[in-house]
Amino acid sequence: MKLSMAAKKRREGYSFILPGFVYMMIVLGYPLIYNVILAFRDVNIKTFKAGTDVFVGLNNFITLLHDETFLLVFKNTFVFTIGCLVFQFTIGFIFAMFFSKKFTLAGPIRGMVLVGYMMPMSVTAMLGKNIFDVSSGLINDLLMKIGVISAPVEWLLNGNTAMASVIAVNCWVGIPFNMLLLTSGLTGISQDVYESAEVDGANSFQRFFYITLPLMKSAIASVLMLGFIYTFKAFDLQFVMTSGGPLNATDVLGTYSYTLSFTQYEFSMGSATAMILFCCLFIIGLFYLRMISKEDD
Amino acid sequence: MAKREKMLATKSGRKNLAYCMIAVLVAIIFLFPIYWILAMSFKSDAESFGKIVTYYPHEFTIDPWVKNLSDREFLTSLKNSVLIAVMSMTLSMVFGVPAAYGMGRYRVPGQKAFMLTFLVTQMLPASLMLTPMYLIFNKLHLLGTYQGPALAIASGTVPFIVVTLRPYFKSVPTSLDDAARIDGCGVFRSFFKIMIPAIKTGIITVVVISFLNGWNDLAYSMTFNVTPEMRPLTANIYKFKSKYGTKWNCIMAYGAILVLPVILLFVFLQKYIVGGLTAGAVKE
Repeated sequence: MKLSMAAKKRREGYSFILPGFVYMMIVLGYPLIYNVILAFRDVNIKTFKAGTDVFVGLNNFITLLHDETFLLVFKNTFVFTIGCLVFQFTIGFIFAMFFSKKFTLAGPIRGMVLVGYMMPMSVTAMLGKNIFDVSSGLINDLLMKIGVISAPVEWLLNGNTAMASVIAVNCWVGIPFNMLLLTSGLTGISQDVYESAEVDGANSFQRFFYITLPLMKSAIASVLMLGFIYTFKAFDLQFVMTSGGPLNATDVLGTYSYTLSFTQYEFSMGSATAMILFCCLFIIGLFYLRMISKEDD
Repeated sequence: MAKREKMLATKSGRKNLAYCMIAVLVAIIFLFPIYWILAMSFKSDAESFGKIVTYYPHEFTIDPWVKNLSDREFLTSLKNSVLIAVMSMTLSMVFGVPAAYGMGRYRVPGQKAFMLTFLVTQMLPASLMLTPMYLIFNKLHLLGTYQGPALAIASGTVPFIVVTLRPYFKSVPTSLDDAARIDGCGVFRSFFKIMIPAIKTGIITVVVISFLNGWNDLAYSMTFNVTPEMRPLTANIYKFKSKYGTKWNCIMAYGAILVLPVILLFVFLQKYIVGGLTAGAVKE
């Protein structure tokens, strides 16, 4: 009787979980496996239509590794991700420290600045294109008014400045998000710890390095890893703001995979690029999952 | 204790004001882009195109808004945006909420593997799925439909719902289902009549974020739906640019209409959205 009760419970549990799980297996799991298959074949628009694609082993990956554009794109993805992480995290942390203090507007404003994070990235990217415009852009106008530059800078027409502009726009979205995640970590630290440290004569510098940082270690690690995952997969921003240009200077793995598949119709090459993107995410993702599952128990 | 708190409060009165002023400054910097979109959207053609950058519309006009809202193509894209967002939201809720409930309140063999699946799939980006999904949808005749993007977007939202709502369901006291059982409620009835109302906050959070996931999508809709007639606003902002050249006032009015629902939802439901964003990322 008891056993059948447990069996009934189990059946109930499955009837709730399985539809969602099966949905994921079909809509996401199957394409994911298909992507691996594609990466090892030579599917392009011709072979796909004729059904004459064949297994080519690691050829696609070898081609990519000999493709200078791919190597540039690979490097760009890391430059973009690390550039964003450095600024987002540092500035986000400073803001989080500030907004975790108790003052009247702390709560409302902390929430308000997140609106950028919820906006469609394509609008944010369009706005980025506008404010970094050479002649009618806000950035050039402001910098010239302050006197930092004497002539307009062609932000999006030069490789390095284009990358800097894309990173800046992404930070506008990323800083509030980092701040939000770090604030919830900071408010978790008991005020007593600080008070007793103060009694012991610790200055604010010491309090930060000997109390805040050590206690925030796991929150910091998870924010950095999550930030890496979110930034590394960027697509919309580059696609709309710069189209990966000028000359692939802001192209990242996501947009390059799209170009290979849907501009050049080399589906297998696009899949192989996506596979490399996946592997990079997977490595960081493993660390992240390991950490949060540790905390879960 | 109370005395001490009072003392601290009076001591920090001036400090409070200083902090508030810095906070307002931060808010101005971060909300400025939104102001910029709106300011640009009310400028005349000449002003937005001119070489002199103006910080507010000198010749205030609603023309750019009228131009967009009276454009048939724009209205079609708007309809597509709403349809794709609502469809993907519905799909996500139908599959996500029961799964979150099952994961939160039942212990079944294989649960760890299910959870791992949801956690991993939550992190998979659209740019990774575009090629295989495109080819599969091509075979299933799902290209150029609303279902294609909706299915794909929901595959990112379902795991988000599971991860976000599971702790909510976990926190509902078991006495509540026992009471339902005694009243003769079946499992599914108690799920709809008792559990879902019990976690209303969580439900609002995931409804809003599921809708926005669909509303904000660019990659899937743009890739699967090639013709402008089937594309949502996010994807046509692109085409729009070539149509109007660099008429920034029209482009920004277009963007403003796209951002408006986000801002409205944000203003009214901020605490739900902010709660949902942290719940998915930081541990319960």
